[in-house]
Amino acid sequence: MSTHAIAAEVADLLHDQSLLLQSLFAGGDSAHLLARLQGNGKRAALANRGLEAYRANAGALAERALGAAYPVLAQLMGDESFAPLARYFWQHAPPQRGDVAQWGAALPDFLDAAPQLASEPFLGDVARVEWALHAAATAQDATLDAASFALLASGDPEQTTLSLSDGTTTLDSAYPVVSIVHAHLHGEPTLAQAAALLGDGIGEHALVWRRGLKPDVRLATAAEHALVRALQAGLSLDAALTTACALESDGNATAFDFNSWLAQAVQTGLVTGAHLLHPTHNTPQHRQEDTP
Amino acid sequence: MLFAVLSMTTRVSAATPIATGIGWRHPHYGALLESLPDLDFIEVHSENFFGAGGASLAVLQQARAHYAVSLHGVGLALGSASGIDPWHLDQLARLVERIEPVRVSDHACFARGALTSGRDVHAADLLPIPFNAAALSVMCANVQRVQDCLKRPLLVENLSAYVSFNGSDRTETTFLTELAARSGCSLLVDVNNIYVNALNERLAGSTADAALSCIQWLDQIPAHLVGELHVAGHVNCGDVVIDDHGSRVSGEVWQIYRHAQRRFGGVPALVEWDTDIPPLAVLLGEATKARAISNANENISEAVRA
Repeated sequence: MSTHAIAAEVADLLHDQSLLLQSLFAGGDSAHLLARLQGNGKRAALANRGLEAYRANAGALAERALGAAYPVLAQLMGDESFAPLARYFWQHAPPQRGDVAQWGAALPDFLDAAPQLASEPFLGDVARVEWALHAAATAQDATLDAASFALLASGDPEQTTLSLSDGTTTLDSAYPVVSIVHAHLHGEPTLAQAAALLGDGIGEHALVWRRGLKPDVRLATAAEHALVRALQAGLSLDAALTTACALESDGNATAFDFNSWLAQAVQTGLVTGAHLLHPTHNTPQHRQEDTP
Repeated sequence: MLFAVLSMTTRVSAATPIATGIGWRHPHYGALLESLPDLDFIEVHSENFFGAGGASLAVLQQARAHYAVSLHGVGLALGSASGIDPWHLDQLARLVERIEPVRVSDHACFARGALTSGRDVHAADLLPIPFNAAALSVMCANVQRVQDCLKRPLLVENLSAYVSFNGSDRTETTFLTELAARSGCSLLVDVNNIYVNALNERLAGSTADAALSCIQWLDQIPAHLVGELHVAGHVNCGDVVIDDHGSRVSGEVWQIYRHAQRRFGGVPALVEWDTDIPPLAVLLGEATKARAISNANENISEAVRA
């Protein structure tokens, strides 16, 4: 067969593959596809049954994949709502990667925009926390660089900052998202206590990070939230602390004790070291590549 | 062709006990590491370990200290006319470098493409391709790209397919043989998939004996191309037979497997179980059966040679 003929056949193949994908994701009229599939009589019946099997497999996979990433959301919604949500979302925001664990990042925004869920506006932020936990679970493992903390005393304050563990995420939510997630995953606080916070209109700052191999989420103060955000934005520690302390002076936060915070942050794996924002030849000994 | 030569030279010699393994899935992570059963290798789905770090990867690295690991992909989509996703290939290459697997495999299928809206999607399934020059050209280019990146030969597995495109102009066995010859890949022959296809052919009107069809299928594959065998369970829904990997290997599949091991001269064999996963002991029992059949065949072969 000539190169030209094969190129034409490849174009047909691309078209046929698109037809099958269209049928599996969008459903509806499969007439164009069926015309491209082998069969009449029993074989046609088998082809229809085969398409049904592929769709059923996709639906089950959608439920499993989304349930694995969003276990709290699944509990909040219940199987009767979560399963159809997963199947609908599979069709309307289909996966683009061959690793199904990558699928689902767009769910929080989808929940926010869904008119059917307007009475439960906190679901989007719960999902955001859950996706952050899901992503942190496979983030790069952190290595503590204890020696680098000497930079905090010796380095240029305007150039020195802290290294955060990969997978660190913060969320400023108008809802008690940390309490809701912990209540469902760990039973502390209780579901009733989390519901009461929700009813009282309490908002929470969520801090998601990797504690060793385990992704974790905890409540953060407004100052801590601002500090972590500023560090992630690439500010020096001095500038980040200024941002955090400005909140404090506004009376929006409890007193922020940096030394205590740093000790706990290092102990729990949130902070993995210190580094210079713009390393120079004069300060090579504590240079670190994995800036947050 | 260099890859093909390398692949042939690393095949298990006739006198070596035949390697037998299991598909290692999440419910058995702890049980396997605690009991360290007598297995020659374990096989994992590559995509489950694509992360940069984390607990799953740490567990796999722990297992790697005790077992040879085969990386079996389900998402490369080697038959996609839209090509290989570079992101996917990067993740796989990083995993291969970390795990140093004994084999790397994926399927003769497609999954990537664009919807009519233009949106790119991945179906996360093993969708069939026609057996013709165009699909062969696409498969060869994609396999070659993966092999060039990984710097090692791939094994490509035959599918169980529930629909068939028009336009095939050769048999599946001819297609796979040509693929191996042109790309230098080896073949991973899934015995259960052949049997599932044969049963579905009967549902589509064929009067051919399913087991006999499978024997003929195996006999059409050059023995030196086969690098691994898979067996698994399937479910007969009445109107379709599904390769669900959710039960014990059927007696018919064991019989076909016995023929495959005789024909291919003893290649590594794997038992897969992916849905309704039983206790590890049940899966190990199936692996023991696979090993016993393989080695019984080998003893017969040795006796004949002596």
